[in-house]
Amino acid sequence: MTMSRDAKVGLFVGCTAILVVLALLYLAAGKGLFEITHTFTLSSKSGESFTEGMPVVFSGFNIGKVQALELNDQGIVLIKIKIPDRHIKWIRSDSTFILYRPLIGSASIVVNTPNLKSSPLDTSKITEVVIINDINDAIAKIEPVLDRLTEIAEHVEDLTYNLSDPKGDLNRVLGNAEKITTNLASKKSLVEMAVSDEESVKALNDSLKKLKDITSNVDRILTKVDKMADKTDKEIYGNDGALPQVNTILKDLVSKLQKLDKTVDNINKISTDTSEGMKDFHILRSDIDDVVNSLADVVKKLDAIIGSKKAPEFKVP
Amino acid sequence: MKKLLSIIIFALLICACGFAQPIPTWKDKASMHLDDYKTSFLTGREESTEPHFIKARREIAASNDLGLLTIAYLTKYALHTASLESFDASEFAKFYKLEPNPSDMAYCHLLKGNFTAVDMQVLPARYAGILKAALARDLNVAAREIAAIDDPLSRLIACGVWARYLPSDETILQIGISTASANGWRRPLWAYLNKLQEHYLETGDQNKAAATKARLDLLKKD
Repeated sequence: MTMSRDAKVGLFVGCTAILVVLALLYLAAGKGLFEITHTFTLSSKSGESFTEGMPVVFSGFNIGKVQALELNDQGIVLIKIKIPDRHIKWIRSDSTFILYRPLIGSASIVVNTPNLKSSPLDTSKITEVVIINDINDAIAKIEPVLDRLTEIAEHVEDLTYNLSDPKGDLNRVLGNAEKITTNLASKKSLVEMAVSDEESVKALNDSLKKLKDITSNVDRILTKVDKMADKTDKEIYGNDGALPQVNTILKDLVSKLQKLDKTVDNINKISTDTSEGMKDFHILRSDIDDVVNSLADVVKKLDAIIGSKKAPEFKVP
Repeated sequence: MKKLLSIIIFALLICACGFAQPIPTWKDKASMHLDDYKTSFLTGREESTEPHFIKARREIAASNDLGLLTIAYLTKYALHTASLESFDASEFAKFYKLEPNPSDMAYCHLLKGNFTAVDMQVLPARYAGILKAALARDLNVAAREIAAIDDPLSRLIACGVWARYLPSDETILQIGISTASANGWRRPLWAYLNKLQEHYLETGDQNKAAATKARLDLLKKD
């Protein structure tokens, strides 16, 4: 069976068209045109840095994008994100959405889901977006460093000014150093340099010479003292020295003390006897009181009998 | 017969004497202690002076006779005045409040040197002359009046009143010295000799001052 040329051309065009449509369909399916998507609403106080088409990232992978941005009646920005059905498992009720603005690169909404087993996020629920701004943080960190740098620069300026000033500290130090070196070059000794007076140095030298004499004198005295100490040793510890005599005296004293012991014993006995005798003293005292009272009574009675005693008269002198 | 009669008369006399009023013991003892106090004070036996006064006061206090207690205290003040010493009259004031006696108050005023406050009518008569002289500040009259007082202690008190509160006078001080010396009253004698020495030093009579000092030294040694 033979086909006409027209039929063959028609078949080729038809196949080509079918292939083109199929390729387009494949591409559309690959791009997710026919995939079911879920829309979630997020909120933020500021719409700054949010753009339509901004990627939604989970663990570094794009799982969706910002579909639209709206402003509600309360002035809150509502961000609608579109998540394909195959990625819906990453969006859970406990998921947090963070707007991450890196120092370099474009901003994105990062999804963090601590528990993937928790319930899916309700599409009607509006979750607030947390904003992390690397640029601002970096600026905030750099600011004090810049301040310090400014201070350092000022100090460096001061230092250079001081160094260049002819009356500055450095120039004065250098001047003093020059004077010292000149002094060192001209003076005869370190002492002269320290004292800055030649006469004082001479006096010091004389004193040192005298000190030498004094030490030699002290040596001689010490030698004499040594000799005297030897003599003293003989006088104290020798056969006729003081110490043997003291020993003899002490022995004599001990024998006398032994004799005295007996005397002390006797005194003790006497005092004991006396204290025993004293026990009767109060009786004796009462007896004396009785006698005195009796005598007073007798005198009183005699006075009464004789009647010679007049009644005492009390009057101021 | 005559012998028998004389024996009977003697026995009757003795019996008559037996009916005399006996003296209370406290009074007798108080008088004795007060006399001892005076003697100890004037002769300078300082250790035994105060105990005698305490004993005298205790005896009088046993009778609760405020009048006698006042006299005891006035005696004490008078002895201090006689020795040219100051005294605290608070005890007298206490007793005077309880039992006021104008005579005691007049005597106390005299000892204190309040001459204008002294009521001459109730003051012991022997001090009337010295009071008049003190009021008139007449030294000659004072010396005469003091010398005329018979009782040596009263004379010494009068000297003390003048020497303590009025300008010192050699004659009056000499009367005080001779009175104390004659009776062996060491304490007032020491005070008057000191006062006389001060008087001589004030008047610039160095020789007499030195002589008085010698007398004082003699008194101190003994």
